[in-house]
Parts: sequence; C-alpha cells; structure tokens
Amino acid sequence: MGEVNLTDVRKEYEDVIAVEGMNLTIEDGEFVTLVGPSGCGKSTTLETISGLTTPTSGTIEIAGRDVTNKPPKDRNIAMVFQNIALFPHMTVYENISFGLRLRDFDQEEIDRRVENAVEIVQLEGMLDRSPDELSGGQQQRVGIARAIVREPDVFLMDEPLANLDAKLRVAMRTEIQRLQKELGITSVYVTHDQEEAMTMSDRIAIINDGELQQCSPPLECYNRPVNTFVAQFIGSPSMNLFNGQVDGDDLDVSDFSVEFDTTNTPLQQGDPVTVGIRPEDIYLAADADDIAHPSRPVTVSVDVLEPVGDQTYAYLLSETDGDTTELLMSVDPDKDLSEGDSIEVVFSRDDVHVFDGTTGDAITHSLVDAAAVAEETAVEGEA
Amino acid sequence: MSEQEYTGLTGRIVQYTIQNSADVYRLGFWVGLVSFIMITLFPFYWLLVLAVTPDNQLYQMGIVPENFNIGVFATVVQEYPLHHYIFNSILIATVTVIVCITLGSLAGYAFGRVDFPGKGPLLVLLLIISYFPGIAFLIPLFELLTGSLSILGTPTPDLYNTPWGMVFPFTMLSLPITIFILTTFYSQIPDGLEDAARVEGTTRLGALFRVIMPLSAPGVVTAAIIVFIGVYREFFFSFIMTDGSPENWAVLVYGILNFQQQHTQMYNMMAAASLIGIIPIAVLVIIAQEHIVRGLTAGGLKE
Repeated sequence: MGEVNLTDVRKEYEDVIAVEGMNLTIEDGEFVTLVGPSGCGKSTTLETISGLTTPTSGTIEIAGRDVTNKPPKDRNIAMVFQNIALFPHMTVYENISFGLRLRDFDQEEIDRRVENAVEIVQLEGMLDRSPDELSGGQQQRVGIARAIVREPDVFLMDEPLANLDAKLRVAMRTEIQRLQKELGITSVYVTHDQEEAMTMSDRIAIINDGELQQCSPPLECYNRPVNTFVAQFIGSPSMNLFNGQVDGDDLDVSDFSVEFDTTNTPLQQGDPVTVGIRPEDIYLAADADDIAHPSRPVTVSVDVLEPVGDQTYAYLLSETDGDTTELLMSVDPDKDLSEGDSIEVVFSRDDVHVFDGTTGDAITHSLVDAAAVAEETAVEGEA
Repeated sequence: MSEQEYTGLTGRIVQYTIQNSADVYRLGFWVGLVSFIMITLFPFYWLLVLAVTPDNQLYQMGIVPENFNIGVFATVVQEYPLHHYIFNSILIATVTVIVCITLGSLAGYAFGRVDFPGKGPLLVLLLIISYFPGIAFLIPLFELLTGSLSILGTPTPDLYNTPWGMVFPFTMLSLPITIFILTTFYSQIPDGLEDAARVEGTTRLGALFRVIMPLSAPGVVTAAIIVFIGVYREFFFSFIMTDGSPENWAVLVYGILNFQQQHTQMYNMMAAASLIGIIPIAVLVIIAQEHIVRGLTAGGLKE
C-alpha cells in the first residue's frame, strides 16, 4: 500500500509541453481519477507515475521512495490498459502469473495467488483458455487479475473501460469500485468521461492543457468548480456560461440580469464577470415557490426540446434588442412544453456561480450570502 | 440469345468457347499450371536422370534414363564424406542464423520501436550496404579473417579453416535483410503489450525476448529460413575460407565441387550429392511453410 506524490512534474516532448507544474498527492488507499479532454496530459501524467515515461523535471514518490528515475519494474505498481494488453501467446494462467514468474515466486505461492485473484474477478475455470477465446469483459477481468495478483502499492488504470460496450462499462465500473474498496489499494484512474470520474472516485483531478485545475471530491468539483473550465467539464449537460458585468446590485448579462449583492466580494461596479448556471438550476417561473431564493423571471422562447426519459433538455432563447442568448435547461418531462412556446424561467440564486470575467477563476458559488462563500473559496484556494 | 449459325471448324470452336467459357478458363488454368511446374521441376528431373545414368553412358544420355544405377546414392555417402559436408553446412548455417536473429532482433527493436535521430538515414545506409556484392569485401575481409591485419598492434585471429571464418562474412551479408524483416514485424506489435510487460517486471530487453519476439514468430521464422537457405547455398566465401577438406569445415557446395577432379568429372556423383543435399532444406521448408507464408504476407499488412 502506498501514497503517491508528484512534485512539480513537467514533461516536455520535442515541441509540446504535455504536463506542466503537476503537484498531486494521492493518499494511501485513495481512488483518484485524472480527467480532462483528450490531449490534456492525463495519460502522460499516469505514464510518469508508471515509469513508462521519465518526466523532464520534477520528482515522483511512491510509498515514500523517490522513483523518478526507476524503471517500471522497480516501482511495485500494476497497470490496466485501455487496449487490455493481454499477451496473446499466453493462456489466462500464464498472463496472470507473468509478473510473479518473473519475480521467481515459488510455484505454490504463484498458484495460491492466481487462484485468489481469479476468484476475486470471477473467472474460475478459465485459466487454460487463451485471451482470444474470452469476451471483452472477461479479457478486462484478466487484465485486472494480472494487476492485483502482485499486490502492488499502486494500481494504475488507463481508460480501462473505454473499449467496452456501454452496458458492460457501467457494470465493470461498479465492479472496479467494489474491488478497490475491498483491496484498499491506492488507485489512479484515467478517463475522459466525466461521468465515470464522478461516480467512481474519492477525488477527481481535472487537468487541462497539461495543468492541474482542481483536485477535489466529485461533488465539490460539481458544486464549487474553481474556474470556468472545471465548471463546464464536470456535469452533464454542461453549465450555461454568460459574459456580463456588475451593475449596481445586479449582474448584467447580455439581455437579462440577476440580482446580486456585491458588498462582500472583491467585485467593483462594472467588473467583467462570467455567470454560470447549471441546466438543473433553472426552473419554470410557475415553480419559483419551490426554491429558496429565486431570481427575477426571465422571458424566453423554447427553441428545441430533447427528451432523454427522466428529464427533458430544453434549449431556450432569450431575446432583447436583437441580442440572442442561448440557455440550456433541464425540465421535468411532465411539464407541458412545446417548441416555440414563450415561457418565463427563474434561476436558483443559491446555485449561480460567478467567475472572474478575464481569468475565469471562481469568485462565488452562490448569489446569496456571498460573504461566507467568498471567504470559504479564499481558504480553499490557498490549500 | 440469338440463334446465329457458326460454320466451319473455327466457327464451331468459337461457338463452343463462348458457350462453355468455364471449361476454357479451366483449360487455361491447367495449361499454365503444368507449364509452370515443368519449368520449376525439370532441373530436378534432369539431376535425377543424370545421377542414375551409369558414368560410362553419360555422353549418350537422353530425356529418359536408359540404365538405372541407384547405387550412386550409396556411393556418394559411403565412399565420400558427403554427410560430413552436410553436417558442416547445417552447423555453420545454424550458428549464422542464431547470431543474425540475436543481433537482428536488437537492431530491429531499435529501428522498429524506438525513435532516435538519424533513424531514416541509418536504415537507408543499411539498405545500400546490403546491395553490395559480397565479392566487394573480399580482400579486406580475407585479410581480416586470416590474421593478416593488426589492429592497435594486435594481429587479428586467423580464422582460415574454422567455422568462424565463414560465419563472420555470412552474418555480415545476411544481417541487413534480417534487420529489415524484423524491423517490420517488431514495429507492428502494439505498444501496450510492451508497456504491460515492462510494468509486470521485465526490462525493455526482457519485453523484446518474452513478448515481442514470440508474437513475431512468423517473421522470425521467415528471417531465420531466408538466412539459413542463403548460407546453405553460399559458395563464394565457403570456397575461399577453407581448403576443401571436411575436417576443416568445408561445406556441402565445396564437397560437391570436389567430385570434379583434375582429370575426371563425375557428373553423376555431383548430381546425386546435389539431390541428397537438397533434403535438409526441403524438410526445413516443409516444417516451417505455414510460418513462412504467414510471415511473407503479414509483413505487408497493417492491421
């Protein structure tokens, strides 16, 4: 079991900086997911932990040992790969025991451990098969068995579910989570799927352009995104973002405004801001009584409706003086809405996010009692 | 279909071929196949006829043998050390194959799986060298391998009449093609498998020999057989690097040449020895043919 420590890790390829100033501590037994758009450096970060890539600068510690320049075999890590990477010329048994046999374990110990691992991933009776006789899900289980059989300090997973079909992916997701809790092995999981990250992790590390944006528990990333990137990346469908500025006691967005008390925030009159509102925090004006702090109603027209079953996504257009703003709202499918309707909506002011208009950094995550929120954010920023 | 009448022989043939085009295609196929087989196998048949014709009738020899002297096959083995020559050939070819595959694998790994500056030019250089005829290197190689050169005051070892005197130039001549074949195959093994092996506990070299090489088996076998056959039938360095006696590692081709003496040319013996000498290669190719076919075709395909 071990803690993973990345200090100032930087990886430069010929003309691209893949990872920059990466500082990340993963506690013993913790499940941390690295998430971000493709090419953001999440896989490179994982590769530097695994030793398949040596960082240009910075240090990596696993279980208290500096392993920055150690080859993968001396790091006591195990890895599950996106393309599964079972050795096609070996049977399931040979695949799982590969690492043990390389380390000269005695035969009895190898058999005991393989048996145990196979039981955990529920692959009994398949030891003599070759990988191409197994289904995708079974192959990935062999991959997982191969990783857990060595009882590594750290378990690295590089999009292990990306090549499975949607239904199997959800099932394996739960299984990996259960397994990780059971074994208590420190795990680093890479995915581009924010839903996978939200559901599985103790903490999510959101990476963009090679830089760590935020590393917090899933709900905190959702409720208190540190900047507009995190705000848009976490949550599906994405948060609505509007550019606007402070105007007296209001936040003015192109063609509507939300009441906002700026007294306890660093914001001055006329400061540019970005306002973020999640689709699920927009309500029909008729339901305004259900929420604690509704905003003034805004008149919009319904452009497109996308029913997904448990809810319907409504694309709304707000139009004044020729300016059009698009809003995405998620609404109960029972509501009687049709395309072209003109309706009134309100925002839950407790859940409106305000970001700095130039840097994109979060200023507050609620328009109500901004003072307390601003203070809290400041403390977190330092930590 | 029109009911037009065809008259005359040509007309009827044309009519037949139009109506039975499948038969005509089949006829064409068989004519082609039989011609090809005859062209390929005729030399073997001719060798066989030559071998079984008694030596006093060699000059009136026809397409069909008039007398059978099967004993010639026994003679070349019993009265001449043909088996010793064949053993030398097989041993030298085997050693060359092992050296070539080992060195070729290391180079193939580097060329196929590692990015390094100057890779392209280096491969081209290798290709250029492989086009040189062996004879171009004759004088420097002969001097080097017979102890006539001295490097930093130390004379080079005299390898004349030793197997190494042949293994060395054979390796030099076969290595480029080996590297090319193995580079192609090794470059096609997914990176994930090598990464998995390294995470599981091998070094890069360990991953090469435990994962990449076994998975490239068709390519490795193809390269090995091409090298083996190349060495087995090589004449030039085999002729120069020994004095021709089997105790001094003379190989099969030299043994066959030895039937041609100053005043007599025992063509029937040479033919019989040639036929026997083919056997090891034939056996090898039959055993490995599945691998060779996969190897030669897989090389050109990217999955």
